[in-house]
Amino acid sequence: MNLSIFLFEFKHFVRNKAKLFSYICFMMLCVFSIYNGFEIMDKQLNTIAEIKAKQELEYIKVIEWLENKQGPEDKPWINIEDPYWLIRSTPSYVVKNPSALFPLAIGQSEQFGFYKKVTRWSSTYDSDMVEEISNYERLINGNIDFSFLIIFLLPILLIILTYNINGLEKDLNFNKLISIQNNKINYWICNRLLFYLLLLILSVDILILGVGLFNNKFYIIQSLLKIILISNLYIISFSIVFYFINKNARSSSSVAFKMISIWLVLCVIIPGSVHQYVSFKYPVNYMTDFLDVNRKQTYEVFKLDNIDLYDILMEIHPELVQTKKAQEQSLDNQLVRRSISTIINQMNIDAANEIEIQNEEKNNLIKLSYFFNPVSYVQNLWNACTNTDYHSYRNFRLDIEESIINRNKLIIIELWENNKVDKPTYQTYLEVLNHL
Amino acid sequence: MRIIFYNEWRGFLRNKLFLFFISFFIILLFLVTFFGIIQNNKQIKSQKDAHDHIRAQWDEMDPSNPHSAAHFGTYAFKPNSILNSLDEGVNAVTGLVLRLEGHKQNEVAFSEASQSLTVSKFGKFKVSLLFQFIIPLFLIFLAFNIYTSEVSSGRLKLLLIQGNSLQKIVFAKIFSLLSLATILLLFTIIVQFLFNFSNIKLDQIIRLIVFFCSYFIYYFIVISFTVFLSLIFKKSTAALSLTIITWLLWTIFLPKAIGNFIETLTPLSTRIELADKMKEDRSKGIDGHNPFDDRKKDLEKEVLARYEVDSISNLPINFTGILMQADEEYGNKVWDKHYGELYENLEIQKRNYQLSGFINPFASLQSLSMASSGTDLLHHLDFLNSAEVYRRYFIKTLNDEYAFGGSKTGERGWKASNDFFRSIKDFSYKEANFLSILSNYIIDIFSLLFWIVSLVFAINVFSRKELIK
Repeated sequence: MNLSIFLFEFKHFVRNKAKLFSYICFMMLCVFSIYNGFEIMDKQLNTIAEIKAKQELEYIKVIEWLENKQGPEDKPWINIEDPYWLIRSTPSYVVKNPSALFPLAIGQSEQFGFYKKVTRWSSTYDSDMVEEISNYERLINGNIDFSFLIIFLLPILLIILTYNINGLEKDLNFNKLISIQNNKINYWICNRLLFYLLLLILSVDILILGVGLFNNKFYIIQSLLKIILISNLYIISFSIVFYFINKNARSSSSVAFKMISIWLVLCVIIPGSVHQYVSFKYPVNYMTDFLDVNRKQTYEVFKLDNIDLYDILMEIHPELVQTKKAQEQSLDNQLVRRSISTIINQMNIDAANEIEIQNEEKNNLIKLSYFFNPVSYVQNLWNACTNTDYHSYRNFRLDIEESIINRNKLIIIELWENNKVDKPTYQTYLEVLNHL
Repeated sequence: MRIIFYNEWRGFLRNKLFLFFISFFIILLFLVTFFGIIQNNKQIKSQKDAHDHIRAQWDEMDPSNPHSAAHFGTYAFKPNSILNSLDEGVNAVTGLVLRLEGHKQNEVAFSEASQSLTVSKFGKFKVSLLFQFIIPLFLIFLAFNIYTSEVSSGRLKLLLIQGNSLQKIVFAKIFSLLSLATILLLFTIIVQFLFNFSNIKLDQIIRLIVFFCSYFIYYFIVISFTVFLSLIFKKSTAALSLTIITWLLWTIFLPKAIGNFIETLTPLSTRIELADKMKEDRSKGIDGHNPFDDRKKDLEKEVLARYEVDSISNLPINFTGILMQADEEYGNKVWDKHYGELYENLEIQKRNYQLSGFINPFASLQSLSMASSGTDLLHHLDFLNSAEVYRRYFIKTLNDEYAFGGSKTGERGWKASNDFFRSIKDFSYKEANFLSILSNYIIDIFSLLFWIVSLVFAINVFSRKELIK
């Protein structure tokens, strides 16, 4: 590193209004995007807090029923000692808390819901699993997101800062003078470029660390360092490509044209083409298989007679064979009908798994493109660090699935054991329903 | 002016790099349009297959209770418009499947964006991606020194001495570049027309004309703006830097920033807030499944008085069907109130965004491009409204059959025949006629015209000043 070239570039940068202005604008945008990320995160946290408060009120209401030994006035048929009614009256929500690094990348969070009310009939592909209400036209333009700025706009800032290195000298015919003054012209270009590279890396790292510091969440240090590493390598990669363009510059406008073309190819054309190809190979799934399970096959299950239902139930939950009701001589028809949701849930899980497999095939194709589509790779890697990628939401769906299984299992075990509910028992129910 | 125009073209055709790029764009546009049409037709077929599959299930339904059939429900699959291959618009982020059933209105689910990892932030490689992001940049690179090169080579003085006005020279150069963009636009539309010939009707032709005109005007704005900057700054590099920064602002930054700002101006309820408000309003109406409901008793009295009998068992009809329909109609009012407000807010947001076209012509272009392709928010809301209208017809037909189809109150086991279920009309969505909704896009058209007038005026003024200097 040559300090005099470095200092020269610093002076040039400070005196060049267009470059300084672009840099300051970009930094302000980054700060704004982080602020915007915090706002979205707070909004999500507030919604989650509202849900929890609402849920708490529901629990209090049921506990009051138990204390007063009387159910709701408008539904006198509810027997509060019956686990079936009490579990039905106890909603549970599964929420996806935003990661502490959410302000650094909102990723795909706007495409998915982050809370779900779970009933025994729920599934992971219910229509209430869709994204939060939003303007679709705003969604296609996206949010001002920090990761978007770094992945897509920072290379353009780099272009603005470096497009005239070695090009301007050629425009003004100073290039020979530079060659005389600096023996190694490539070393001179490299040092000038290095100044901007370090400037950008330092600026970005400070902002990323700032989010960790502001959130006081250094327990996520691993993800934080991973994001720093990804961003730094990304900026370095672009700088290397731009170095070669600068090195072979003919004029500043030809350098700008080449750099912009590289940006367009890497950030717009390749990802767009891969997207189109993936969509061509795996057209949008209308999920008719899932819809069939959710509707037609569900109704067919309802039409089955109780003995058949009993057999299916015992197959899914063999532990029920040992329960009190299963040991009785005669079959309790109401009990079997009340257990149907468990059978339907198993069917839903199987159908949802099929969808997940299909989606995973699509994802594998996307991953295969990473070796020539590095921008999408970086984007998904970054989103994974902030828990806002597809797989984070798939994990959220698995949590929901577990919650539905727990709820159904609790209902059937309690019903088949012929248990009665009192306040302490209800507390244990809450623990099961809320994954405590 | 004509001679300068021809001369410019002669210059273009002598430039090998230019010829390479123009050939590259023509081949690319052909491939993108062609594969876009194939992919879109594949999607349209998948949608039709899904629709037929679900309808076949309905047609094959065994004799059943109509209310059970209302719970069984049906599905509306959002169809792709014919011109979706040009601009996908909001279709990648909206859901595609809407369950239509009794008692409740569902959300449209299963969006494409939720089915995989992120691939492209700028959407698929469709014609719109090329026309909105890449070709304008190409035009900027062609236009940034179109004026300054004449100055630096001294040719400008020669042209002026020959009696040409500066305005004429500048506009001849602008039109020569615009004619190039026009060739690319026309080529795409011809390819679209040829490979989609059987599907293109009068409405699609009108849409294609609007699509063409929007981009034509936008390219005029981009080229004129670049030339205008070169008139002001005189230096090619300064003009280029500023035009690229402006392009970035227009296409990447402002759409996001203005979109965010507009959402804060007209905030939308969260899903849970909306559900709570609807639940509260719904609780004030009739609960069809609650025999202890007071409002149900009032309805019972009214029906008994209408049929002049003293008890439900003496009614010649099935009271449960009437009750279910009353419950449904109350629910519809609640939905109309809350979702009406939500859709109105979305339309306000859309209008506000359209107004941003006066500072960002890209916003107007984007809006007109999606509108003419039938893929914007308003087309999506139109689909949702059509599906809801159908849902109401569907459920009312089932409830009426339950009430007046021959059963009496309490006959829970009564079943309607398969012929009845088959007689219920199928859901079929027809895209809105473009001329009937054109008024929604007047702001976009005006903002683009505003930009044309402003730039023509500014170029004229600066050309005159330049001449005086």
